[in-house]
Amino acid sequence: MALKPVTSPDTEAATIELSIDGRPVTAKDGVSLYDVISSTGKIVAAMCYHYTFDPFGSCGMCLVMVEGKKAPVRACTAKATAGLVVRTEGDDLFQARKKAVEKHLSVHPLDCPVCDADGHCELQDMAFQHQVTNLANAKQKLIPEDTRSLVLDFNMNRCIACGECINVCKDVLMIDALQFVKKGGFTQVVAKGDLPLSCEFCGDCLAVCPVGAITNKYSKYLYKPWQLKKTTTTCNYCGDGCQMSIETKDSEVVRVTSPLSWKNKWGDRSETAKGHGGICVRGRFGFQYIDSKNRLLQPLARRNGTLVETPWLEVMHTVVDRLASIKAAHGPQAIAGLITARCSNEELYLFQKLMRAAIGTNQLDSSARYGHLNFVHAVREALGVGRMTNDWEDITKAKAILLVGTDITETNPLTAVRVKEAIRVYKSQVIVVDSVQTRIAALASHPMMVTPGSEGLFLQGLVKSVIEQDLIDAEATGRHPEAFAALKHAAAGVSLEAVAAGTGVPVDQIHEVAAVFAEAPRAIILCGEGVVRRPGGYRQVLSLIDLAWITGKLGRPGCGVNTVTEEPNEQGAVDMGAAPEFLPGQARFDDPVARDKFAKAWGAELPPMGKGATLPEILRRCRSGEIKALYVVGENPLATLPASAEVKAALERLELLVCQDPFLTETARLAHVVLPACTYAEKDGTITNLEGKVLRLRQAMEPIGESLPDWHIMTAIANGLGYAPEYESPQDIQNEIMKLLPGYYNLGQPKKLSPRPDAYLSNGYAASVGSRYRGAATRAGEEHARWPFALTMGQLLYHSGKLSTQASGLIKIAPNTGRLSMNVEDMTRMGLAEEARVRVTSAKGSVELAVQPDLTLRPGSCFFPEHFNEPPVKDLMPLEIDPDTSVPSFKFARVTIEKI
Amino acid sequence: MNVGAMINKLLRAALFYEIWDAMKVTFKHMFHRPITFQYPREQRTLPDTHRGALGLLRYDDGAERCVGCDLCEVACPSHCIKVVSAEDKTLPLSRYASEFYIDITKCVFCGYCVEACPVNALAMTKLYEYSTHDKRALLFDKKRLYEIGERHLEDAKKYLYAHNQEKDDQQSRDYRYFFPESVLKPKA
Amino acid sequence: MAKLEDQRTTVYKVDPEHPESANLPTLRTEELLLNMGPQHPSTHGVLKVILELEGERIVKATPVMGFLHRGVEKLAEDGTYHQFIPHTDRLDYVCAMYNNFAYCRAVEKLMNITVPERAEYLRTIVAEVQRIIGHQFWLGTQALDIGAMTVFFYTFRDREILLDWFDELCGARLTTSWYRIGGVERNFTPSLLDKLRRFLDYFLPKIDEYVVFLEKNRIWIARTKGVAVISAEDALSFGLSGPTLRGSGVDYDLRKYESYGAYPRCEFSVPVGKNGDTYDRYWIRVEEMRESVKIIRQCLDQMAAEGPIMADVPSVTLPPKDRVFTNLESMIQQFKLFSQGFDAPPGEIYCGTEAHKGELGFYIVSTGGGKPYRLKIRAPSFIHMGAFDHMARGYMIADAVTIFGTYDIVMGECDR
Repeated sequence: MALKPVTSPDTEAATIELSIDGRPVTAKDGVSLYDVISSTGKIVAAMCYHYTFDPFGSCGMCLVMVEGKKAPVRACTAKATAGLVVRTEGDDLFQARKKAVEKHLSVHPLDCPVCDADGHCELQDMAFQHQVTNLANAKQKLIPEDTRSLVLDFNMNRCIACGECINVCKDVLMIDALQFVKKGGFTQVVAKGDLPLSCEFCGDCLAVCPVGAITNKYSKYLYKPWQLKKTTTTCNYCGDGCQMSIETKDSEVVRVTSPLSWKNKWGDRSETAKGHGGICVRGRFGFQYIDSKNRLLQPLARRNGTLVETPWLEVMHTVVDRLASIKAAHGPQAIAGLITARCSNEELYLFQKLMRAAIGTNQLDSSARYGHLNFVHAVREALGVGRMTNDWEDITKAKAILLVGTDITETNPLTAVRVKEAIRVYKSQVIVVDSVQTRIAALASHPMMVTPGSEGLFLQGLVKSVIEQDLIDAEATGRHPEAFAALKHAAAGVSLEAVAAGTGVPVDQIHEVAAVFAEAPRAIILCGEGVVRRPGGYRQVLSLIDLAWITGKLGRPGCGVNTVTEEPNEQGAVDMGAAPEFLPGQARFDDPVARDKFAKAWGAELPPMGKGATLPEILRRCRSGEIKALYVVGENPLATLPASAEVKAALERLELLVCQDPFLTETARLAHVVLPACTYAEKDGTITNLEGKVLRLRQAMEPIGESLPDWHIMTAIANGLGYAPEYESPQDIQNEIMKLLPGYYNLGQPKKLSPRPDAYLSNGYAASVGSRYRGAATRAGEEHARWPFALTMGQLLYHSGKLSTQASGLIKIAPNTGRLSMNVEDMTRMGLAEEARVRVTSAKGSVELAVQPDLTLRPGSCFFPEHFNEPPVKDLMPLEIDPDTSVPSFKFARVTIEKI
Repeated sequence: MNVGAMINKLLRAALFYEIWDAMKVTFKHMFHRPITFQYPREQRTLPDTHRGALGLLRYDDGAERCVGCDLCEVACPSHCIKVVSAEDKTLPLSRYASEFYIDITKCVFCGYCVEACPVNALAMTKLYEYSTHDKRALLFDKKRLYEIGERHLEDAKKYLYAHNQEKDDQQSRDYRYFFPESVLKPKA
Repeated sequence: MAKLEDQRTTVYKVDPEHPESANLPTLRTEELLLNMGPQHPSTHGVLKVILELEGERIVKATPVMGFLHRGVEKLAEDGTYHQFIPHTDRLDYVCAMYNNFAYCRAVEKLMNITVPERAEYLRTIVAEVQRIIGHQFWLGTQALDIGAMTVFFYTFRDREILLDWFDELCGARLTTSWYRIGGVERNFTPSLLDKLRRFLDYFLPKIDEYVVFLEKNRIWIARTKGVAVISAEDALSFGLSGPTLRGSGVDYDLRKYESYGAYPRCEFSVPVGKNGDTYDRYWIRVEEMRESVKIIRQCLDQMAAEGPIMADVPSVTLPPKDRVFTNLESMIQQFKLFSQGFDAPPGEIYCGTEAHKGELGFYIVSTGGGKPYRLKIRAPSFIHMGAFDHMARGYMIADAVTIFGTYDIVMGECDR
């Protein structure tokens, strides 16, 4: 029984008429009768139904009478057909439904006082609604609670076997980690194979469980729903920008819930293309850092070499006085600033305004520099747009999706759910190009395992293959024959055999994939850290644009080039101008019109052109002593960049290092002044997610200790420096942004972007394209011989940056094992058992650590999560700075591994 | 009006007859026992129903009755109860109140918490003398509430009986909330 | 002599017959504003009245209210219907039972619940006991305000007996919360019945005792007869109710004309005054005490010995506690009712009840769900305060005290 959405971009279902309770209703042919009834505003009780997956029909509550049938039918599994006459009310139906509830109640334990679901329990609601009283209790199940899983407890005494958890896991998330098992005379939900649960721990099963059968270990028995204050806000872990609710009890975060819940069970199935409302493991179980004991509660100032707690007033005086005196003595060029893209738009805007207008320096950068700017610069250059061109709906409804260098289920789990829905519901062909056997590759129709670091080469092979197979869109290329000729010429130098050798993918597979992509009417490219965070990321994005261009995917609806971002507001950081090359609204810093506009609006002269500095340049200037003061907001360059970046030397030379962070980070330990900042849960604001949606952050609780929101501290510094604007709330800053960038907020909805490649293709493309296709494959050979292993540092599903390591819940799921993940074959070849110690050596140094087998890795590659610096694997990484965008890449190294 | 009545009325007015009438009642009361009593030397006998300070109760074997379900908290019209519940890790599946506060300055003594409690862990007692010079002492914590419950156990039992919360003593002894059985590690 | 000019004065009067008086310092003849209260003992709580006086006569009286405002109506929106009952205790804190009764009746009307017969009798008996308490309280304090202290002692002595009776009934003397939506919290015990019967026997002669002090007392008569007169039309148009209205000769009593509780099964008369002055209202209240005794006696005689005291509507009324212990459905019922309340149908209702002060009405707007969307209390004290200016004009300043008293105001209810 499958009731897939009947309306897809390709087929439109017929509109039919039927009658519900005597009223004519129009609906789409073939949808679930339950949805049709709920669309009229009538709510029929149901316990096992949820619109995001196929109806299951186990609870027997949604009974309706259909004319011509003697017995009531289940509305959820029945299809709407023309001319149906349906009755949803009546005493007979009420009694039948009551019977269905009684069936569940009679074996349910007397658990309400201790159950976490009490007050948010469908069984309670149904029993109360149907006025069940004086029921003879049947035999209790007395099933022991399954507490083996890391985050969830399964109490099968409370289970009503509705199957929602199993269905959401199998159907929506395609993880399929749960199953029914008949044990001890009762049907129970267990993890696959009756083992401890091992899955992505997204907790969507917990969200849809209508009773308390699945409970959250981290908040077990700590609350009742009525004690909690619910604040809907935006998750602060990745660029997906999922909406979620933080539920707090005074200053304690008890749990995080998602809009996906058994409570919102009816909806339009086709609307799930915009998101199914669930959240991932990080969002749901990684909230502990908000009220962590490690939070900074007081400002710290360095006295006699140690950081001591100091009152705010004193600390602010120090900061302002020192900044002012450095500015007076050495000019504004002696001051620089770094900010994290976890801050809100308002804070990012205020930060760059503080640096530019109050201090007068253009030496500022954000963590979007670590990769996202590669993408932004490329699409700005080539397409004239400043972010990805498609939204979640386009991804869901695409016919072909090309995922390059992105372990999307790990980095952006909810965007991954969109890809999964594309696969499952819209039968999309998915091409995954990655050096790791990722989870999405396991689901994809065309998983392409390439050798580590050869994603760029593969893309060139794709372009070459498209040209060779003549899959070219004549209309798109015909408009720019000169550019196309140049591309053809450049690609002529690429040999598919060399590509096949370099990437490890046979030529015919490259051809097949190229054909799948080129022939799909709606094809989406999605690139991730394997492209934008690697050397030459900027050029690889341009190659992707080449591919999209020649196959005619640019500007066609449902097609485009996209990326995923790691931090929640990288897009906002670029949009708000927290980068030396951009003013707010992505206006170029050297654009005289924009300079004029902002100088007037801010009532200050902008810093001169040509003196700005990006992150690597700022660190260089710190080292050289040109920069005397550095203001770091939430960034932690010391722990992020490898030793070869010489961050420590740079920071130690500074006369003033001000760190503003919720935690005492490695960088903050070197600081002269540490200001305690709030997390996102304690402030208002907005962030811009990867789709370009502007999403609200809402204050869920009062700031912990004496910490203050970043905007508050920055306003105070600006005022201390004699720069006038007094913002009393983020709303004031927002109003200013609205005035300067009309339409940016756009009620949270991103504007549709249409790529305009014409200018790019007709000016200078022909000249520049040649260099991009030259010699990518050449240097590989000798390097491989000397350094046989490819070491990648990347993200885990359970972590995001360094922030999540402060969340005890996530650390419990994924602690720092301190082990290097290696391919099993390699391990046997080298005679390594698990936990055997090895020495890993790169050109930058060597580290000793233990190993663990990892089935997803290719032979000749190894992996270490970027979230942990113990052991300091990151220091093995060479630092390469992109010549076009100054993006530092340091996630990939070639190493040797020796057994010790 | 006849003359006699007129004279009668005049006479009454002149002699302030109504005052004598009233004084008669007053004088009668001179021989009446005083109805006031001298608190604190004399104390009122309070009925069993009396809604005094709240106490927490235990089972006969000393185990806490309260399972930390927080229903009293939501039932309280003046929001004076705060329950912090937690998992009792020593026993499978069991929940208890790790902290329990009643802000007695806010309490309106309506008895709803007792009515709500699904395990009869709360009861009101006849205690009303807890005035103090320190306001902080009026935030009754779990320890104090159990103390009250122990010291005024008889009153508490009588209260529960009088307010139909308990049928009789026997029932209260027989009844016990049991946590559904469980083991921490099921057999693999 | 230099001409004295009083800068603050605006009105000079020159006697036309003695033009030379223009040169003399003149007496100020403007009106005097006098703030009475909010700490004045006769204002029964905290009420302030700004009296405009001409000599000792009241020209205008403006009551200033809100000193005891606690936002009770807003509090109702925060909790479930059930949770609001203890808040109603604190409206007219002298007669909590009546507030409970009026509120529960309103919610029962909203939820369309029929209360069991025994519960109706219990409710009526307690309501009438409360009426006696209310009138005793009024009589004592009014007499005290006018200067007769003895009555106060006697009425309060007898009131104590009833308050202790309440304590035994529900556990509190004043903040009773005994009524429940759909019935009452606790049944009468034999001891309670016995005590009540004995009280009634004791009480009837005591009423005569109170009256002895007042009825013929020339001071009382002088201070009440012809004071604060309001005509029947005015009383109606000001929306007065209860003894204040009946004193003006309007026969309006909800107990008779809406016939709720066990009243339709009792025989009693409604005393109606003639002159609409303070004395008539006093007389009505004394008579009502006698009628109340009559009603209670009838109820006690008619009432069946046994019977349910709560309606059995699982979706609204609480289950018996022993079922909660053992039965999942009852436990669910208990948890749902306490944590979310019952699901009231959307709509709005008004329900008035004859309290001893007048018509106490509750107006509830429900948009569905467990909490009222809006709850408005028609408090007789508040409505009566509206007529204060009208009734006080032209009387002496000392009469203001009598006039407050004659409404039987309690500021807890007036300000809410």
